[in-house]
Amino acid sequence: MIKLTHIFKSFDGGRSYAVKDLSLSVGKGETLVLLGSSGCGKTTTLKMINRLIEPTQGIIEVGGKDVMDYDPVDLRRQIGYVFQGIGLFPHMTIEQNVEIVPRLLGWSIRSRQERMRELLDLVGLPAESFAQRFPDELSGGQQQRVGVARALAANPTYLLMDEPFGALDALTREALQQELLNLKKQLKKTIVFVTHDLHEALLIGDRIAILHEGNLEQIGTKKDILDTPATQFVQDLFTIKRPGTLT
Amino acid sequence: MSLDAVVTYVVERLPELWLRTGEHLMLTGCSTLAAMFIGIPLGILIFRTTWLRGPLMGVIGILQTIPSLAMLVFLLALLKKIGVLPALIALTLYALLPIARNTLTGLEEVSSEVMEAAQGIGMKEYQQLMMVRIPLAAPVIVAGIRTAAVVGVGIATLSAFIGAGGLGQFINRGLALANTNLILLGAIPAALLAVVVDFSIGAFEWGLRPERKKDKKGSLRRLMRRLAFVLPVAIVLISMLTYFTKPGWISKTAAQLKSGNKVVRIGTKNFTEQIILGEMMAQLIETKTDLIVERRFNLGGTMICHGALVNGEIDLYAEYTGTGLTAILKHPVIPDPEEALNHVTRAYHERFDAQWLKPFGFNNTYALTVREADAKKNQWNRISDLVNMAMEMRAGFTAEFAERPDGYPGLRRIYGLRFGEVRDFDPALMYEAVVKGEVDVVCAFATDGRIAAYHLVPLKDDLNFFPPYHAAPVIRENILKTHPKLGDVLSLFGGLIDNATMQRLNFEVDGKKRKTAEMVEEFLKAKGIL
Ligand SMILES: Nc1ncnc2c1ncn2[C@@H]1O[C@H](COP(=O)(O)OP(=O)(O)OP(=O)(O)O)[C@@H](O)[C@H]1O
Ligand SMILES: [Mg+2]
Repeated sequence: MIKLTHIFKSFDGGRSYAVKDLSLSVGKGETLVLLGSSGCGKTTTLKMINRLIEPTQGIIEVGGKDVMDYDPVDLRRQIGYVFQGIGLFPHMTIEQNVEIVPRLLGWSIRSRQERMRELLDLVGLPAESFAQRFPDELSGGQQQRVGVARALAANPTYLLMDEPFGALDALTREALQQELLNLKKQLKKTIVFVTHDLHEALLIGDRIAILHEGNLEQIGTKKDILDTPATQFVQDLFTIKRPGTLT
Repeated sequence: MSLDAVVTYVVERLPELWLRTGEHLMLTGCSTLAAMFIGIPLGILIFRTTWLRGPLMGVIGILQTIPSLAMLVFLLALLKKIGVLPALIALTLYALLPIARNTLTGLEEVSSEVMEAAQGIGMKEYQQLMMVRIPLAAPVIVAGIRTAAVVGVGIATLSAFIGAGGLGQFINRGLALANTNLILLGAIPAALLAVVVDFSIGAFEWGLRPERKKDKKGSLRRLMRRLAFVLPVAIVLISMLTYFTKPGWISKTAAQLKSGNKVVRIGTKNFTEQIILGEMMAQLIETKTDLIVERRFNLGGTMICHGALVNGEIDLYAEYTGTGLTAILKHPVIPDPEEALNHVTRAYHERFDAQWLKPFGFNNTYALTVREADAKKNQWNRISDLVNMAMEMRAGFTAEFAERPDGYPGLRRIYGLRFGEVRDFDPALMYEAVVKGEVDVVCAFATDGRIAAYHLVPLKDDLNFFPPYHAAPVIRENILKTHPKLGDVLSLFGGLIDNATMQRLNFEVDGKKRKTAEMVEEFLKAKGIL
């Protein structure tokens, strides 16, 4: 379980807030989508969960324990993170990239290898032809899939995914979204998924949180949001921008 | 020179070329390695400790701006040692800047996105550094090492100046003997070496890069990458081999062991006459005693030779009474030769535990020298004749003469001479300069063979300003005590060589490009003392 209580984050000493009074919780095995336009504080929220950024104010709990009480390294190793900019290590092969967290955790070489093969198969990049390549020898979409495999490698309880399908064409994106839905069923992870794509949010999220300029506009299931938009912003979002696509 | 002649010339000197190349690689290699061991951790340290950056890079940067020769001489004074150690330290200090700076730059330039990922997946700080930041900075760091090594090959040529060997030895000797071939024999291999070093470190870095898909098993590319990896290692091994198989090194050590370490080290300054005198003393000692002579020739100037003698780095070299008196003892000029010799003998014994032996006979005093044609035209005979025209004249002096109290400063005082322009020259180039008309007057040495050969005229020292410069062997009393025979042997030189003879011997080498050793042997045999 992940729980945020009255989180504020300011990068400029209080003059402006990237995140304002954000409270939300993600249940065990649930997928919460953070939806919002560019610069609304989605990445900032994710980074605060694994302590890459510390909140100015408020409490974040992971698994019922304040993140500030964790050793940050331990905390991060329990949380799989798919970075917005992919963030693969350019000097490591795909194999090494996927194996890195198990390696940090001290798994044996055999179990690491096994896991790596399993995961590359899962994301549709068979180890035989991809394991020995370097990130720059892969297409952007393939790299994003490796990013997902890396995040899953150590079998983390939690998964933070920051626009994992951001820079993809519609076709590949749909394929990957389907893969993720399958994964979700198989893996039963607690996932926070960031996107600015309405369609993706509705497809993937068990619940959706809509952010706007650091404020939480509404949080709820697809049905809640479509039926009873809480604010004008939410209403506009669904009527003006994407008319007709959501029924 | 025809191609054949070039080949013969090089082949004849191949053993020494082998030795010097080995020394050169050793100097560059060891100093670059040392600079890596200091510079890379230093770069990491200042990357992590921001406030140290300014001060540390500042200090390293200042070190870099010290002219190489000044640095060498400074270290010489500090360590009281000539040879490899000060040279290695100087080279290491120079190599530090590119390596530390590139390490810092390389570490800073790693993309913050990648570093955030490293942190975000749960790497500890040292893991982030060792597993991500340093590997990604490696190409930039290696580029720094490459720069350092290439610059090092260049600077290492200067270490011959303080007796550390290397290819600079040829260059130094070539300059001293005005012998272009010798200069090239040092300069060309040094340039080639720089290219080879640059290439092989570059190749090493290429081999170090992770293997790509295109490096298929068994492909030529893959093979080349393996070879590239081996190349610099091979060079280092070869250079060590070269260094430790010095021609004569093994035999010398064996001889040394047999003879109970009876070695006499003879030094010389860096001009022809000194080298001839050094070679004479060496050959005489080699024939008349069972001692082994180590020739540490071409050691910069007076202060380096004197320092080496006092610190026991050499046992013996030829010094001039006037130089000992004024440059070393800082004593006012004593015009009487006998008295001057007595004074230096006493003072050296008291202050330096060194002994002046019987002078060779000639007086190599300074002589202000002009072109014969100018002298005729202007009716110059004496130094005083120049006083009125001095402001329109350009003078070419050795750096030593320009500063020494018995040089230009004294001339100005005694004669009231003030030249319009004074330029510093290497002793060997000074004569060329006056012949070619680049300068009008030079501080020739009275025994220089080129005076007659180049149609120059020494002016009479009508105010008796220049002190007597009688050359004599100066030897450490310690070695004289252990091997008393040395004194007797060296006194065979007493009064053997007058000014005209010395001029002739100098010209044999300077003008006719004879080999010093051969010419000296011939001369000593003719005189019947070999
Ligand atoms: N390190 C930082 N220093 C200062 N300001 C920052 C920093 N990181 C983010 N911000 C600011 O905080 C706000 C929220 O940024 P954030 O990265 O969370 O946006 P986002 O919702 O992820 O946007 P996008 O969809 O473009 O990725 C932005 O206005 C951004 O400029
Ligand atoms: Mg973002």
